[in-house]
Parts: sequence; C-alpha cells; structure tokens
Amino acid sequence: MIKEEFLERTIDSTARKSLEKADQDRIETVWDRLESQEPQCGYGLLGICCRNCAMGPCRIDPFGNNPTRGVCGADADTLVARNLARMIAAGAAAHSDHGRDIVEVLHLTALGKTSGYQITDEEKLKRIAGEYGINVDGRVKEEIAKELAEKAMDEYGMRKNTLQFAERAPEKRKEIWKNLGIWPRSIDREIVEIMHRTTMGVDADFVNILLQGLRVSLSDGWGGSMIATEFSDILFGTPTPKESFVNLGVLKEDTVNIIVHGHNPLMSEMVVDASRDAEIIKLAKQKGATGITLAGICCTANEILMRKGIPVAGNFLIQELAITTGAVDAMVVDYQCIMPSLVPIADCYQTKLITTSPKAKIKGATHIEFDPERAYEIGKEIVKEAIEAYGNRNPDRVNIPNHPVKMMAGFSAEAILGALGGTVQPLIDAIVAGKIRGIAAIVGCNNPKIKQDYGHVTLAKRLIENNVLVIQTGCSAIATGKAGLLVPEAADQAGEGLKEIANALGVPPILHMGSCVDISRILTVAAVIAKELNVDISDLPVAGAAPEWMTEKAVAIGAYVVASGIFTVLGPIPPVLGSANVTGLLTQGLGDVVGATFAVEPDPEKAAELIIKHIDEKRKALGLTTPPTGAS
Amino acid sequence: MKTVYIKPENCIGCKHCEVACAVEHSETKNLYSAISEEPLPISKIHVMPTFGIMAYPGKCMHCDPTPCIQVCPSGAISRDKETDTILINEEKCIGCGMCAIVCPFSAVLFNPSWRVSVDRDVAHKCDNCFERITNDLIPACVEACKTGALGYGDINEIIREERRAVGKTAAQLAAAIPVEEKIPELLKVWRDLALSMSQVGEKK
Ligand code: SF4
Ligand code: SF4
Ligand code: SF4
Repeated sequence: MIKEEFLERTIDSTARKSLEKADQDRIETVWDRLESQEPQCGYGLLGICCRNCAMGPCRIDPFGNNPTRGVCGADADTLVARNLARMIAAGAAAHSDHGRDIVEVLHLTALGKTSGYQITDEEKLKRIAGEYGINVDGRVKEEIAKELAEKAMDEYGMRKNTLQFAERAPEKRKEIWKNLGIWPRSIDREIVEIMHRTTMGVDADFVNILLQGLRVSLSDGWGGSMIATEFSDILFGTPTPKESFVNLGVLKEDTVNIIVHGHNPLMSEMVVDASRDAEIIKLAKQKGATGITLAGICCTANEILMRKGIPVAGNFLIQELAITTGAVDAMVVDYQCIMPSLVPIADCYQTKLITTSPKAKIKGATHIEFDPERAYEIGKEIVKEAIEAYGNRNPDRVNIPNHPVKMMAGFSAEAILGALGGTVQPLIDAIVAGKIRGIAAIVGCNNPKIKQDYGHVTLAKRLIENNVLVIQTGCSAIATGKAGLLVPEAADQAGEGLKEIANALGVPPILHMGSCVDISRILTVAAVIAKELNVDISDLPVAGAAPEWMTEKAVAIGAYVVASGIFTVLGPIPPVLGSANVTGLLTQGLGDVVGATFAVEPDPEKAAELIIKHIDEKRKALGLTTPPTGAS
Repeated sequence: MKTVYIKPENCIGCKHCEVACAVEHSETKNLYSAISEEPLPISKIHVMPTFGIMAYPGKCMHCDPTPCIQVCPSGAISRDKETDTILINEEKCIGCGMCAIVCPFSAVLFNPSWRVSVDRDVAHKCDNCFERITNDLIPACVEACKTGALGYGDINEIIREERRAVGKTAAQLAAAIPVEEKIPELLKVWRDLALSMSQVGEKK
C-alpha cells in the first residue's frame, strides 16, 4: 500500500513507488522542499517586488495601502510588467542559446572540425537554405551548411534587423506584428533590450514593456527555438514516427543504466552513439552487465526519442526519483531544468552525476566538458564512467518499478504532412467536416504545486473525448506517454470523429511533436494551415495550454504562442495578479491587439471547457458547425 | 493596554515579520551580522501555511490570566505590568517545556539563546519587542509588515475602529448602499485560483 501522501503527489505509478523508496531511504525530494518553503511570499507570487537597484528592494502593498510605489516611484503595473518581461527574456535566452550552440556545431561540422557529427538531412538543409535565399545548385552540402550557419549567426546580431523564419507566418499575422512594432529584429537584441528597459529608471509604461516582452518572445518562437529545431534536424535527421517505451520501468537491473537529462541533442546524441559502440559494449559486458541501457529525462529525452526512439525514463519531476531506484549508474546532464538537489541524492546511491556544459556546473558533480571537436570521444568517456560506476552498484538498494509503457513519437511537421499525403488539406477537410473539432497544443513542465501529470493527462483526455486533436511537446508529452495515451489504440478513448481519423492514419489521437523548442514545429504547422485557408492563425479553431508549467522558458513560450494568435490556458498562476492593469491586458486587452489572450485555470477539467468553448467560437466565426460537446 | 493584533485576511505569507523579529532579537541587531551569529537568532513570530496560499502569523498573545506563568516551576515567566507583556527570564528557564504544553497558541519554542551563558535550549516567545516598545518604537514585526496584517495599538481603540466599520457596513446594507470590499477583487481571484490549484486532482 502506497501512502496517501504519495498518491496525492503524482499519478505516475512508477513515481509513486519510487517516492515510497525515497521515503524509506530518507531522501528529500522536490515535494518536501516545496512543503518547507510554504507559505511562499505573496509579493513574489503577485509579482510586486523589485530589486533592480540598491535603493530597493521594494514591494507594493497588494491591499492598496502604503507603499503603493517603489523608492523610485515605480508602481505595481511597472513592477509586474518589468518582472514578467525579464522572465520572458530569460526564457527566450535559454531557448535561443540552445539554438546558438546548434548553429555553432553545424558551422564547425561544415568546416570538418567536429567529431561525431554529420549533416544527416541534406534535403532539409537545402530547403532551409532556400528559405534563406542561399544558392544550393551544384554545391556540396558542407558549403551550403557553412553559408547557412553564418546566415543564422546574423540572426543573433544587429545588422540584419529581421528574422528569416518570422516570414513563415501568414501575411495577416505579419501585418499585426509590423503595425504593433513588435516584429523581432534579432534574437540577442530583443533580449538585451528587455534587460535595458527594465533596469532602474528606463521603461515605466507597462504597455510598452509588455509589447517588448511579446517581441522578445517572437524572437524565441520564430527565431531561437525554430533555429534550434530546424538546425538540429539538419544535423541529426528530421523525426519520423517511431515506437518506444516510457517510465522508470525502462531501466534494467542487469545493464549499465545511463540517463541523459537536459535539453540539447548535441551531447545526448553523442552518448547514444557511444553507447552503441561495439568496443564500449564489450567493456560493459566485461564488467558483468548484459549491455547498456540509455534513457532520457526532460527535453533531451524528447530529442533522442523523436530521432532515435530512445526510451524515456520520465519528465521533470522524475529526475530525483530516477536516482532513488538505485539502478542509475550515471546521469549525464547538459543544461536547463537540472535540479541541484541531484548531487546529494546521487551521492547516496553511487550514481555518477556528470555535468557537461561549461554553462551549467554543479558543485559535487563530475564535470566532463563537452567539446564539439572531440564530441564522440567525450561521449565514450562518459559511457566508460557509467560502466565504471556499474561496478560499484549496490544490488541491495536497487528497486526498479516495472512495466514500461509503450509510446509513439516522432511527429515533426514534415512527418505529419507526410502522413496526410503531402498536404494539410485532409486535416482541414476533417476540421470542416467536424470530425476534428479543432487542435490543442498541450505543452510545458511539471510543477510540484500540481499533482504530477494529472493536469496534462486530464486535459488531454477531455479534449480528445471531444474530438479535439491534441499535439504535444516537452514534459507534457511524456506525461500522456506514461498514461498510455500516445499509442494508436488510445484512439478508443477519443470521440467518434477523431477516432475515425486516427484509426485511418494509424496514429495516436495525441501527437508527440518533440521537445520544448519544437513548439516551433507547432507554429510552423499552424502557419501552413492558416495560409492554406488564407486566414490568420488567430482565426483557426486552435488553442494552447500549459497545465503544469514552471520555468521562465514556459513564460516565453506562452507569450509567443499568444503573440502568434493562439489562445492559451495556464495551469499554475503567473506572478502578475499584483497589477489589475497587467492582468487585464493579458487576459482581455491582448485580444484586441494580437487576437489572442491568456487565461489561468488550474483545474484541467475546467481548462478543457474553456478550450472547447474557444474552439467552438472560432469554428462559428469560420462558418463551421459546432459538434455536440460531451464525453464519448 | 497596547498589543500586537493580527488581521489574517491581510497576511500574504512574505515572512518579512519573521526576519525583522529574528534581527531584533539577535545580539547585534543588524541583518548582515545577525545571519552569522552563533547561535543563530530565531524569530518568535511564525508564519504558517494554512490552506491554499493563506498564511497565518502565529505568536504569543500575552494572555491574562497567563497559563504559562501558572505552570512555570522555576518562576522564569513574569508579567510586566506597565506594558502587559509576558517576559521570559532565559537564565531562569530550565527548558522543561511546561509553558509550551499549556500555551493555547503553541507560541513557545526551545532553542539556544545568546542571552544564556551555557549552551542549552531555553524557551523563546514573543516579548512584544520589549526594548522597542519601552523606547517608543512599535514592535519590529509590525514595522516590517507592509500589508496591514500586523498592527500595534490600544486594544480598545482597535475594537472601537472595528466596531465603527461593522456599524458602517450594517448601515450601508440597511440603506441598500453597496458595501466596498475589504479585500481587493484581484486578491480574491488570486486566493481562489491558488486554492483551486492546491486541490487539483484531489478526490472530491
Ligand atoms: S528600481 Fe525602483 S522599485 Fe526597483 S528596487 Fe529600485 S527603487 Fe525600488
Ligand atoms: S506563551 Fe502562550 S500561554 Fe504564555 S502568554 Fe504567550 S500565548 Fe499565553
Ligand atoms: S509581514 Fe505581515 S504579511 Fe508578511 S508574513 Fe508577516 S504578518 Fe504576514
């Protein structure tokens, strides 16, 4: 019998078992730390504290009495807008810097200076080069890649003054951005400008600050993130549908178990390749293992799942629990969403925690620095460390929850178009006919403030029951994967129309489109559909949701999704309620400006209702009939 | 009689009061040095989570009659008549825990203190910032609290104010004049959302 307390924390059965083990082993987890943080500071939760200068820190009384302004005179609207803009900038920086690393490696690879990398998808290279106006005729791929990478580097600078991929948006959307003055000029520039505008004594107009917030978010969604996705496809291949397995049960007792955790495929791809190296496997066998098992956590898991079918151990809240199975010999991390708490936990189980990025070190971890020029050798070095650690594993402390769940992933924009026969028309026909009511993107993290996976899974179930095609990325997709919804058989849980379409195509009713930067794939698909219909993205019966979000990256994503014209429902409450004006702008005012708004609804059942209502309104406006609501 | 009073509906759980209290009761009375004192100063007001994001700052209420004085076997607890403050003489405290057992507000904690020469745990609880109030200052927690959750004043005066507010509301209701909300609308929205968030997925 699992303790009630653990049942309340998560719906992932393998996580529940591991929570029990963590408890027995006296391991402190993220849930325990949240408890000791409570009550959390209301100023922070409401967004009304500022420490941007040394006259502060300042805070505003949310009850409307003194103090109503910071020492400099900034009011709640300014404080909330500045803080939110900085969150968006930090999120955009994370995605875009990830993209930058990919661009650099593509460039070095084109120059023949890397080990382990190659230009895998030449067709895509040429297609993207075409978008950039690069001549591809009669040129070798390395030459094209070099020029493309250099052009992409300009997207980060200040000479070009526009972003290439933003051109993918439908005309009406581009007009909106231009008229509002939020067309992104360059990736780094918009981020830097947020930092400038929000420092003491610069931009105090909350509307002006938030518009720049939208601009920086666009430079992420249609810039940094899109570059990360597209250029990764060039290097490692554009994903195609494939099967794999998910949850902690993918670990095995008799193999060397390696978990890659973080975001960028640059490192994880090398570990994948190294773990398949015959010489390395031989080494593992010499140590008594039957082989090497590699599994992922967070978005780097999605990257190698999408392209290589590597199994997934879990999403964000699984990282600590994975180690408590006692069966992880090495956890290899790059950056983003890595909890520093992994160090003491890894210590308890003889797990090697290996950091690889010069940007993300953790005291107490082993640092093996990633270097594209020796990437494959470093990959092998890392796997050897894991094999070494396997020798130290204490079998008495191993307890792997069994029964991994089957899942399907790999639905890139190209793969979806491919499945539809090369055009979105069949999808549009299904929407017009009402078989598919609309499309909802469910994305984002886990957050211990919401029962793990419950938000994602409940929302996804309600939506497919109502014939809403669900597309997913990130930890959200891993959640529904664990719940068994990412298999074609799950179509049985969908409404009649969606079930018919999914069955005809042999796909799940929920499509896993990749990592968080791959939300750019969703933008690409939305743009293609809108263009096909000659409407704006905001006219489409589509919506977004982040039922368990927690990172600043999610704030950037929410902002660019809304700025792209897609209504978005957040689960956890963003730190904006300290300003009625900012809240009003985000939940209503933006509708008149960018044709979409945010809503906050922690309860996924109610969030589903909001989304269905929105989709039906959009259908009506397009002159489409409204299918009846209700579970199948 | 002057007292620290609590308006829980205004508490947002920021813990500014706790920090201010700990600094006030430290040896050096300075934030930057207090954090490296040995033993570390502790707060005598305790902001506790309740439900949703509602928090409650709990502290000694300086009762009269005073259960803790009645049970303290070593005579360590006394009342200052002037300020109606219940004070603990830490040197006399024998750490037996009797006061904590009888305290209806669970206000007493046991910890080392810089005021006792031997390293042992003694009773800690709010002393109304005795040094401050006898020097015409308001208690540190009240000064730190910017939301009005903590106030300091004459108990009868506070009650009179509250009564006036109640009377006004009653009169407005009788005259069908809309009553202005005590808590801003958006804060209510926030608290409702947070409550709903804390209950997501709970069995109904
Ligand atoms: S920028 Fe203004 S509000 Fe912020 S800390 Fe300085 S004085 Fe206070
Ligand atoms: S310590 Fe407890 S019993 Fe004693 S005066 Fe304070 S609240 Fe009352
Ligand atoms: S300072 Fe005031 S609002 Fe903050 S926790 Fe203390 S009592 Fe509550």
